[in-house]
Amino acid sequence: MSVILFLSVFLIAACGLIYELIAGTLASYLLGDSVFQFSTVIGAYLFAMGIGSFLSRFIGRGLVARFISIELLVGLVGGFSSSVLFLAFAYTQSFRVILYLVVVAVGTLVGLEIPLLMRILKGRYQFGELVAHVLTFDYLGALGASILFPLILVPKLGMVRSALLFGIVNAGVALWSTYLFRDQLGGLSTLRAACVAVLIALGVGMAGAERISAAADNNLYADEVILSRETRYQRIVLTRWKDDIRLFLSSHLQFSSRDEYRYHEALVHPGLAAIPAARSVLVLGGGDGLAVREILKYPGVEKITLVDLDPEMTKLFSTNPMLTALNGNSLAASKLHIVNADAFPWLAENRDVFDFVVVDFPDPTNYSLGKLYTTVFYRALAKHLSRQALVVVQSTSPLFARQSYWCIVETLKQAGLKTYPYHVYVPSFGEWGFVLAGLSPYEPPALLPQGLRFLSARNLPELFHFPNDMLPVDVEPNRLNDQVLVRYYEREWREIAH
Amino acid sequence: MTSRRGFLSAGLIGLTVKAERRITGSFVNESQALGHRLRDRSAFKEPTRKIRVPLVIVGGGMAGLSAAWRLDKAGFRDFALLEMAPQAGGNARWGENEISAYPWAAHYVPIPNRKSALVRELFEELGLLHEGKLEERHLCFSPQERLFLHGRWQEDLEPAVAATAADRQQYREFEKHIAEFRAGGEFTIPIELGAKPSPLDRISMTEWMRRSGFDSPYLNWYVNYACRDDYGALASGVSAWAGVHYFASRENEDKGPFTWPEGNGWIAKRLLEKLGRYVKTGAAVYRIRRDGHRLRVLTEEVEYTADGLIFAAPTFLAPYILEDAPPAHGFEYSPWLTANLTLDRLPRERGLEMAWDNVIYDSPALGYVVATHQSLSSRVDRTVWTYYWALAQGAPADNRRLLLEKDWGYWKEAILNDLARAHPDIRECVSRIDIMRMGHAMVRPAVGFIFSEERRRAASYSGGNVWFANSDLSGISIFEEAQYRGVRAADAALRAVR
Repeated sequence: MSVILFLSVFLIAACGLIYELIAGTLASYLLGDSVFQFSTVIGAYLFAMGIGSFLSRFIGRGLVARFISIELLVGLVGGFSSSVLFLAFAYTQSFRVILYLVVVAVGTLVGLEIPLLMRILKGRYQFGELVAHVLTFDYLGALGASILFPLILVPKLGMVRSALLFGIVNAGVALWSTYLFRDQLGGLSTLRAACVAVLIALGVGMAGAERISAAADNNLYADEVILSRETRYQRIVLTRWKDDIRLFLSSHLQFSSRDEYRYHEALVHPGLAAIPAARSVLVLGGGDGLAVREILKYPGVEKITLVDLDPEMTKLFSTNPMLTALNGNSLAASKLHIVNADAFPWLAENRDVFDFVVVDFPDPTNYSLGKLYTTVFYRALAKHLSRQALVVVQSTSPLFARQSYWCIVETLKQAGLKTYPYHVYVPSFGEWGFVLAGLSPYEPPALLPQGLRFLSARNLPELFHFPNDMLPVDVEPNRLNDQVLVRYYEREWREIAH
Repeated sequence: MTSRRGFLSAGLIGLTVKAERRITGSFVNESQALGHRLRDRSAFKEPTRKIRVPLVIVGGGMAGLSAAWRLDKAGFRDFALLEMAPQAGGNARWGENEISAYPWAAHYVPIPNRKSALVRELFEELGLLHEGKLEERHLCFSPQERLFLHGRWQEDLEPAVAATAADRQQYREFEKHIAEFRAGGEFTIPIELGAKPSPLDRISMTEWMRRSGFDSPYLNWYVNYACRDDYGALASGVSAWAGVHYFASRENEDKGPFTWPEGNGWIAKRLLEKLGRYVKTGAAVYRIRRDGHRLRVLTEEVEYTADGLIFAAPTFLAPYILEDAPPAHGFEYSPWLTANLTLDRLPRERGLEMAWDNVIYDSPALGYVVATHQSLSSRVDRTVWTYYWALAQGAPADNRRLLLEKDWGYWKEAILNDLARAHPDIRECVSRIDIMRMGHAMVRPAVGFIFSEERRRAASYSGGNVWFANSDLSGISIFEEAQYRGVRAADAALRAVR
């Protein structure tokens, strides 16, 4: 009997610590600054436990029944805590408020557990012995939890299912207690029914977690998925590992926060810095606002038009605090005009003229996206260019997809544009290619905006040199009626993957 | 009425399986009633008004519109074009709903080769060619065709899945034969420019395949499909000359064909923009009487007195309308059914993307064409499919009877069952099916017809001031032949009437 009793102390202690760790980890994943997040979460949690201990004195009769109800509540609130927090991050603007509410709620309930249990057990043991045993198992449970959490739970189960699993343990302890203390309890069947109901709810959550996208993504992506949203157009997934935030659109990596500055500086500055008179800039794709962040470094630019298909994407990158920190809140700039439209039909109907155009579409992985890399598309684009204007096109990797890259160059040429291909190394992507194109000749700029982390006027001309293994190859241009690019791309990337 | 039990079980099933949606629709563009009145020489109203006009064109399909195009270009403007249907266009008729325009029959024109001078002239005028260069915007986008074979989609219509080395050897051998025929210069479009009486016209395509040693079931399916698609008949019902013509008349260097959401309705629309003022729709000509040198052309409202007449309606109608018309016994026509399906969402698919032309192997029908395929959008949520079904199996007269006997629901089910082989969830996607029945959709180049005395007589018939112009005079029902016949009749009329 006594071993079993103290084993439940061990378990509830472990549960309590797990919820605290989950809240702390989630907060640092989602908001960054882990020292601050862990300190405040632990502080709030311990303080709430104090509130719980204090409140325990107001519980008089029916201690065991109260204890069981509290276990069930901890199981429910703690078990669903990480689901709630993920959803709050993805769908609300008030993640912090919800975070501390959850932390305080779980902390208060956990704070009630040990005082109540000690009062239940006080008739059976000497006071000194009781305190010693309970606290021993309490601390042992905490140790078990703190070892289990980083080694097994996070890597194998992920946050959502870890929390649910420990919710089930709490509810299990509650159910078990109805047997341990059956002589001190009335209304046994009601209590057991409640236990079973909570167990079922958590079990369903566990089964559902397998199917809900966030949990499924944990198997697909190397890092912890912190946001997963299925929009009308694509699946937006954000992952985080330490300070590295990655964006995936329909499973394709778009950027890593560690090195995206290399990509976006290389995307914008070689072209835009070469047009000192640029007033009006168009960005096609690029709803993450990172290219816009770079464009905003030019005070001469008066108007930026961003055309991105997916309103969810631009909304996410203009409201989520972690992401606005990344793009410097560029999507809120007063110069910026956001249009949520399909780029090709928009270009065909719009009549505006631009001095610089950033074409930052996803890679041509299928015929629908391949349309955005065709002669007809580039001809339509050329109609929107002022005389001195330049276009820059993200053009996949000239190393891994050499034919694809030079096919894009060839297609721009076929559309009557002069081309200036260049490439950069972006660690998370590998060797990456861009093409500058325009109606007038291009000279690399002598002056770049202040404070760039990667580009300098000195190293800029080097980007236009291609080593032997990336030199031009013989390719056909990509046409609407014969999309060779999609076939090149598919073959080349398949060879890399195998 | 639903029984109570049925209702309950339906409700329970509804929890797991979505209830089948209601699909609306009807027969549209019906013209057989009018045709039968002509055939039975039923009473028509006497016209109350008289109009004097030098030249009348009967029939507003491609032949009639092309005749009008030629006359107008030659500066001859004193003519009227009478079309019995409420909408001109004939086999190039089109429809339109809130999602897209869509074709009712002919839906593409292959890239014209050098001999098709008239097509090139028209296409230059319509902006489809620019001094011989193709306008890519109107060429069929990638992916053009796919075939559902052995439970999956493959690219292109030539069966590749599970094709053996022997099959592929025969494909190459067949291609070689065709290349020789092509080089011979006999298989031209228009056919009149190259056709010489040939022993090929005295055997069926099936017979030619047998004699040439082509026994691959896949190759035979492919050839049979081509005959059903272009002539509405099985390979066994088509002359080998016509069967070979289908393959040997095109120089397929560039990726084509030209196509538009509304199919050849796009050309009809452009022509009607230029020529609409000559066109009277809803004007069924029921009798053409000779009155000295003049012709009295009777419709139910107006009697036209004309000096000449171009008969661009199907030639088989002439004996019922025109006094002393030549008999048209040899003219046999294939019955067709086309349907336009409105899809509120696209079927769930994996693997290959939806193509323009989508064919199901071993289906009695010809597959479907996607009206939104030429959209510039990178994402399409709703669409219209045009489903083609040449009733090729069995005698044309029996199939015409079947077309008339069976109600809309019968054909709707047949179409959905056919599509469900490749798209199991098709019933959840479709909200409307409109069906057009055509008893005499296209002339059939049966064995011996192309070089028959009857065809030649009708093609060269003039009767002094009446010229025939329908594409059926060529024995092949394609846009290019309709245009050629229309223009030729217009030239003859100009010589006589001016």
